[in-house]
Amino acid sequence: MEALTGHLDELGHGLLTTVHLTVVTTIGALLLGVVVATLRVCPVPLLRGVGMVYVEVLQNLPLLALLVLFVFALPTIGITFPLFTSAAIVIAAYEGAYLAEAIRAGINTVGVGQAEAARAIGLTFSQSLRYVILPQGLRAVIQPMGNIYIALLMNTSLAAAVGVVELTQAANNVNLVEAQPIAVFTGAGLAYMLLALLIGRVTATLERRWAIVR
Amino acid sequence: MSIRFTNVTRRRALTIAATAVTVALAAAGCGDGGSAPALPGQADGQKVAQSVFDAAPVASDADIPAGSTMDMIRKRGYLNVGGSLDAPLLSQQNPVSGDIEGFDADMAKLLAKYIIGKPEVKTVTIGTQTREAMLQAKSVDAVFQTYTITPQRATQVAFAGPYLTSGLAVAVRKDETGIKGVKDLAGKTVIVGANTPAVTALPSAAPGSKQVAFATDPQAVQALLQKRGDAYVQDFTLLASNAKTNPGMKVVGDPFTTEAYGIGLTREDTQFKEFVNNWLRKIQADGTWSKVWQSTLGSVVEGGTPTPPAIGSVEGS
Repeated sequence: MEALTGHLDELGHGLLTTVHLTVVTTIGALLLGVVVATLRVCPVPLLRGVGMVYVEVLQNLPLLALLVLFVFALPTIGITFPLFTSAAIVIAAYEGAYLAEAIRAGINTVGVGQAEAARAIGLTFSQSLRYVILPQGLRAVIQPMGNIYIALLMNTSLAAAVGVVELTQAANNVNLVEAQPIAVFTGAGLAYMLLALLIGRVTATLERRWAIVR
Repeated sequence: MSIRFTNVTRRRALTIAATAVTVALAAAGCGDGGSAPALPGQADGQKVAQSVFDAAPVASDADIPAGSTMDMIRKRGYLNVGGSLDAPLLSQQNPVSGDIEGFDADMAKLLAKYIIGKPEVKTVTIGTQTREAMLQAKSVDAVFQTYTITPQRATQVAFAGPYLTSGLAVAVRKDETGIKGVKDLAGKTVIVGANTPAVTALPSAAPGSKQVAFATDPQAVQALLQKRGDAYVQDFTLLASNAKTNPGMKVVGDPFTTEAYGIGLTREDTQFKEFVNNWLRKIQADGTWSKVWQSTLGSVVEGGTPTPPAIGSVEGS
């Protein structure tokens, strides 16, 4: 137990970095997800293709491989981002692909008649998306999006491999001194669990509040 | 000349490919001495001659009382060892033969030979995070993984040895002139291997330095060359080996810490610890230890073979 209480400062910093990374990537991934989902349903075949390639490439590569490639391969062509920024960009891009698929599923729940009606009253494609389709589509998939956010939280631990001292790395460092793996990683695990439960609760509340009565 | 050139180009290409490919291993954590992917070229000339194993001592029956851990291992027919597969010169799996080569791996084989009569070892790859738990659960008989002896760890596990001492040193890019040793690291960004002793040693050795940790040794080397830090602090032998294969970096100054590595054993089993210590004394006295050192770590370190550390000379052993 002292293994944990004696290093609250380091673990706290790690936890803060994890939360910071999660919040930044959550926002980035949501924006990307909406854009890519829109691409995937838009009437222009070329843009649909771009959306599909994006989703297939990012969903089908391991996140750790993407992180290592981004951090170590880009500098060889002269592009170097700070480590935290690199991790945030890669995780947001990766989770954005998953979110795009969830959002596309949501868009598909909106009846095709609604889209036709929106066009019939003179809304453009982007207007019908903004005012008719997305508000309903997003509400339908709050729960699956919450699940993706929980996965995103867990995936932030991979940033440890490329030098970001988040909660997992901080736990590793503490364990290096204390040699108490069970206590240290149980503590870190509980912190992750509490954060995940928090995301779950927020999702449940939003889902109840924004439920569509049909 | 042409052969040499091809070799270097291939290695450079490999560094990037290998970093990505072996990343799964990296995630599992690495030894105290850091870890690296298996680069085929590095395995050359590191193999300990079969004659060394043939001549190595075997315990007499009197040394192995019935019901002891040694007796159990002898009946089982192989030694269960916790170690790495990716630490060059220490414990690295040869991708061609599948053999695990290096100082730690050969020590494990010699212990197996001493107990069983033949160097039969089963290596379980473990991360630095789980060594204490694995020993306490008796999932492995012994840990050979550049396991630094510390008083905190000694409350969890028993250490036979020390069987090897080394130290942390500083490496910089070839063109760096401002850093001549650990004293010059204040205010600099220093790359370290995640879960290596450098993480805890650096704040006191170089106050005011900023740390960046990478999971594997090749990643850390790559990061140094890509200027993500001003210096790389790692085990001296590992740095010497890196500097040999990477013309872009050099080792500056002498090692600034002394790390004593021990063989991790179950804490309660004092009989087994005494047995392993006796074996270490034997192989140190008959020259086996020096032969193993020369064909592994000695291949990159200049100067003569060091004197093996005195058994029990470190707090915690």
